[in-house]
Order: sequence, then C-alpha cells, then structure tokens
Amino acid sequence: MLRISTYKAILSDSHFWVPVVVLVIGILLLALIR
Amino acid sequence: MVSGLAAGAWLGAAEAPTKLVTLGISPFLISLGMVAGVFVARWTVPTLMKGTGYVFVDLRSKAHLIVWGVLGGALWAVANTLTVFAIRDVGLSIAFPLWNVNCLVGIFWGWFFFRELRGAGKKEQAKVLGGAVAIAGGAVLLAYASSVAPASVSSHASAGILAALGAGLLWGTMYIPYRKAYLSGMNPLSFVTVFTVGELGTVAALALVFRGGLQPVLHELVKARPALFWLFLGGFCWVLGDLFQQYAAKYIGIGRGIPLSNTNQVWGLAWGVLVFGELAGRGAAAETTVIAGSLVMILGAVSISSAVAPAAEQASWGEAVERECARYQLDRDQVFRAQSGEDVMAARTRGWRWWDALIVAMAVSIFAWLALGAQRPVIAVDAGWIAALLAGTLILLLAGGVLLWKRTRFS
Repeated sequence: MLRISTYKAILSDSHFWVPVVVLVIGILLLALIR
Repeated sequence: MVSGLAAGAWLGAAEAPTKLVTLGISPFLISLGMVAGVFVARWTVPTLMKGTGYVFVDLRSKAHLIVWGVLGGALWAVANTLTVFAIRDVGLSIAFPLWNVNCLVGIFWGWFFFRELRGAGKKEQAKVLGGAVAIAGGAVLLAYASSVAPASVSSHASAGILAALGAGLLWGTMYIPYRKAYLSGMNPLSFVTVFTVGELGTVAALALVFRGGLQPVLHELVKARPALFWLFLGGFCWVLGDLFQQYAAKYIGIGRGIPLSNTNQVWGLAWGVLVFGELAGRGAAAETTVIAGSLVMILGAVSISSAVAPAAEQASWGEAVERECARYQLDRDQVFRAQSGEDVMAARTRGWRWWDALIVAMAVSIFAWLALGAQRPVIAVDAGWIAALLAGTLILLLAGGVLLWKRTRFS
C-alpha cells in the first residue's frame, strides 16, 4: 500500500494531470465513436 | 541508440506472427490475446534477467511509480483500441500517419516537462526534430504503399480521423510515465511489470464493455484458441522490442528514443513484403514508394543517432531529476548513479528465488500448451527471407543485450 504522503505528492504533481486528462479524453472518444 | 534501433526491429518482428491469424476474430479479441501474451512475457523476461526479488525491491523504493506505471498501461490500451476503429473507418494508409504524430507529441512533452533538448544547441535540436519528421514522413510513404483505403471511407471518415489523432495523442502522452520512471532511476524491467497490469486491466475492461460482457468474451476466446499461440508469440517479440524502447527512453530520453523505435514500421513492412509477399502484383510504383519511404526513415534514424546530448543538455536533464528527487523524496545520489548506468539495486537483492523458476516454468507451459493447439493457416512464406530477417533482428538483440549488460548490467 502507498502512504498518504505519496498519494498527496502524486496528486499535487502537475505532470500527473496531463496523462489523466488525455486518458479521459481517449475514453470519451471511444464512447463517442463506437 | 542501439537500444532504440533494436526496439524498432523487435516491435516490427512482432507483426509477423499476427499475420498468421486468420480472419473472423474480433479486433478486441486480437488485442486481448496479444496483450495476454505481453503480460506473460513481461513477467517472465524480468524474472529471468533479475528475479522477482529485485523487481519488488526496486518498486518498493519508488512506490509512487506503481501509479504512474498503471496509468501508462491504461493510456497504451485505450490508444490501441482507438487504432482498431481508425483502421476500420479510414484504412491504415490514412490512420497510420495520423497516429504516428505520437513521436512529435513525445518530443514536445520531453522538452516541456523533462527539459530534454534544452541547451542542446540549434544543430543537435535540428538533427532530432529533422530526424523525427523524416521517420514520420517515411512511415507515411510506407503506409500508403502497403495498404489500400476501404471503400466505405466517407461514411465514418471524421470518426476514424478523430480516433487516429486520439491514438497519437495518447501514445505520445504515454511517454510521460516512461520518462518519469527513468528520471527516478527505476529499472525498465521493474517498470514494465506494473505497466502491463494497467495494459491488461484496461484491455480486458474494454473487451468486456465492447463485446457485451464476460460470457461472450470467454466464448470468443475459446473460439480463437487455434490463433492464440501466434498472438502470444507476437506479444513476446513485442515485449523484447518494448524493453529496448524503455532502455532507450531511460538513457537517451524520449525525444531521441521514441523516433528511433518508430523505425519498427520499416521492419514490419519488410516482414510483410519479403516473407509474406504482400506487395506482389502491386506494380513498380508501390515498390518505389517502399524503397523511398525506407530510405527516408533510415536517414531520419541516422540523423537522431548522431545527435549526442551535449554537457549543457545533460545538465538540463539533471534539473528534471532534482525535481523528481525533491517531490518524491528519493535518494538523490542513488538516482544520479542509476542515471549513469550503475545497478544500485544489485546490492540490496539476493538474486533468484525458487518461485522465479516456477514463474518461468508456468510461462513456458502456457506457450507449449498454446503451441499444441495452434493452427498454421496455409500461407506461402519465403524461408530465405525469414532466415535473413531473423538473423538481422537477432544480431540487434545480441548487440543491444551485450551493450546494455556491459554498460548497465540491465539496470
């Protein structure tokens, strides 16, 4: 299990949100064109 | 650089076994079968090379990268599924060039987030950018030469183009987790074992959603049993290629490593044209396009290979490493030693354990069981070219493996 401080470091890392947003866009795109 | 080139050869070779899969299987099942093979191989190769003890010590010391690895695997899986739709709607010749922008997206993220190419000087930057554009351009030529757009292009064209562009964006962004791992000094062998959990989990979830639940998927898997060996074999070759790609991303960055491994297109086409005779009867124009595309791609690879990162750029990479160390409280000295190729985890692990042998035995048994039930469709192949291409890919495997062992001990 990861420590709470590790989760906090990940969630407050600006690098993290770019792939997350791109992943969400990809999933939405799949739902749209299927 | 050798790792990047070896990655291209093995990622291209991965296409050969999948060509033996006959039609009539859902693309989702083909993707699921291949990823299942990838999963087995991704656990076997690191176990063989370092042992699971090494992998888990490495993962525990940089636990935040477990989240990043799973995220990277999920990005790969969604992108791969998008390409299925793109090919269906606009054909490979249009879709491939669009998703091949992934290397330009990767270069951008490498520059923007990880300070790659900064301080490199205009000449080196031009070599990398020019090389990447040449590889992408060569791939466009090869895609046009090797495929024909389907007749139904107009009806779903916009959806197909969106899907291909989306795949390029996702695959290019997938390199953020890659680079994140290697700036933290992680061993690629450790990273891929969690990356593949994200891959398999997402592909399985997508197959369940798109194929109507567990029962239909299981039914289709049973039906696809004779083809599964070829998909697993393709997955195994793909893992070897991807491992080289990961080492390239670690030691030369994503800006240089990813375009080099994108030369897989020329290897994939070589297998298709020379072994399976895919261009037979397509005329001299197609052959000329293939030769031109291959030459452009090779020139691009040569250009990137000659763009060595100068001291100023390496200092810039150092700033990116400092950021990771500060944010995730990593041992700075250890991370910088790992960056230079030292195997810092070796002293903290006890080598192979009995369960490592069990994992390898299980993987071999799965391959043997699938091989027993495999059916090889009657497809004419050129044995001479198989031998020649195998020799080429094995030479790159050997050269890359020996160099990595000598300089990094596979760290």
